[in-house]
Amino acid sequence: MQVDDTLLNRLEKLSHLKIADEKRAEVIGQLSEILNFVDNLNELNTDGVDDKFSMSDAATFMREDKPACDTKINDDIIKHAPQSADHFFIVPKIIE
Amino acid sequence: MITLKEALKLSSKELEDLKANLASEIAKHPELNAYIDVNNVGSGVPIAVKDNIQVKDWSITSGSKILQGYIAPYNATVIEKMLKAGLSPFGRTNMDEFAMGSTTESSCYGKTLNPHNADCVPGGSSGGSAAAVAAGLAIAALGSDTGGSIRQPASFCGIVGMKPTYGRVSRYGLGAYASSLDQIGPMTQNVEDAAILYDIISGHDEKDSTSADMNDKVSDKLNPARKLRIATLPKYIEHASQDVKDAYSKAIEALKNAGHTIVEKELLDAKYDISAYYITATAEATTNLARYDGIRYGRRAECKDLKELFINSRSEGFGEEVKRRILLGNFVLSSGYYDAYYVKAQKVRHIIKDEYAKVFEDVDLILSPVAPTTANRFGSLSNPIEMYLSDIYTISVNLAGLPALSLPICKSAKGMPVGLQLIAKAYDEQTLFDGALSLEKEINYKG
Repeated sequence: MQVDDTLLNRLEKLSHLKIADEKRAEVIGQLSEILNFVDNLNELNTDGVDDKFSMSDAATFMREDKPACDTKINDDIIKHAPQSADHFFIVPKIIE
Repeated sequence: MITLKEALKLSSKELEDLKANLASEIAKHPELNAYIDVNNVGSGVPIAVKDNIQVKDWSITSGSKILQGYIAPYNATVIEKMLKAGLSPFGRTNMDEFAMGSTTESSCYGKTLNPHNADCVPGGSSGGSAAAVAAGLAIAALGSDTGGSIRQPASFCGIVGMKPTYGRVSRYGLGAYASSLDQIGPMTQNVEDAAILYDIISGHDEKDSTSADMNDKVSDKLNPARKLRIATLPKYIEHASQDVKDAYSKAIEALKNAGHTIVEKELLDAKYDISAYYITATAEATTNLARYDGIRYGRRAECKDLKELFINSRSEGFGEEVKRRILLGNFVLSSGYYDAYYVKAQKVRHIIKDEYAKVFEDVDLILSPVAPTTANRFGSLSNPIEMYLSDIYTISVNLAGLPALSLPICKSAKGMPVGLQLIAKAYDEQTLFDGALSLEKEINYKG
């Protein structure tokens, strides 16, 4: 699998990342090398193998359906957020 | 350094003195950089904590610039359990950024040195925890293991590191990397201490939906006299360096001397483990790391609009390896590639898990290398794929969710520790610790 600039652009968009111009060739090379390696999975026959994997075959445990909320956690997160006021996060203007 | 078992018997006055002494020793060795900072909670036995486990009111940053300014608003379940058992979180240890690495070089706090040789890495990602214990600057520590991040630094630094069965230890409050692979575990001076710390942090937690509904303990039932059937993996070993091969032979002899039965087995070629791991782990990482947006916590970059806020905060805040894994994760999950990569990797996980199950029909434990070499020199794993290949012996254990324990066997010709790991079937921590204790006694490793 060869990664090109068009694919890297798409991945940057999906990732909300910007790779600097001077790094692009290197990153494209590294991603291509890694994907070429992991293509070795095609050597394995997986016909008929379950396509979902779960860490446990047991059902999720049951618990009482009681509401629980430690609002102190919310307060602390807001307090340490980069910008906040009146119990809200502040973000740049969205609508002009 | 006093062991955890001994330290649990100390009076509160003795613990206070111990902590003061420890803090002063840590301050005398800043070049090691095992600790990011040293704070204490409570009056218990001091335990060092990896920088991705929430300790209320501590700065917990997963070794990343993007989390600068974040203060943990609650305790991880493992921290609550430690506090109840008379242990104190004491010091925050260095790690690869978001636990993505095998050397601790990718931390935003700079590299941590291997206490056995300052030119070598301590391993990673829990390199700070391993170096702290190995240097006599911690009684014990917590690490986290997603693809070997407890066992490999333990091996490189000559200490014991244990990864529990997936679901044994609550992940509530662990900074998530790959949720189906991550486990918190003990890093200690010896096997018995690992069992004691494992008992304290394990057990069911309703705050983690993947927590196993089991609470059985091991440290009060340790029995190194049990005679076990232990598998060796002759084909696996071919990829390892001579130092590791020598340690492997030595361990086999020791296990035979201790009365265990050795049988030869085979597992799937480990190159497939690497592929299944890097597809699964990056897919899960890209999802988990989507939360770092510069809005709710951590560091926000300069920006003129919301889109720039996301892109600039993430591009400036994440390091190169983290970015690489996010890009890869988005690739394997993206439309057009999802089936060929992500779904294929999940199928291969079934094959890997089934292979282990087949081996465990006949044996109690598997003896395996931890890493193909002893600790690398700084900068020697600069190519990502080379670093990924160095995880060859540890990642299948995470993919299959099994428990494993790395313990030191001997030193290489150059004086570096060589560890090996024992692997057990899921939830059979008792046999894992019993076998490890037997091997530890027979080997009698002197750090």
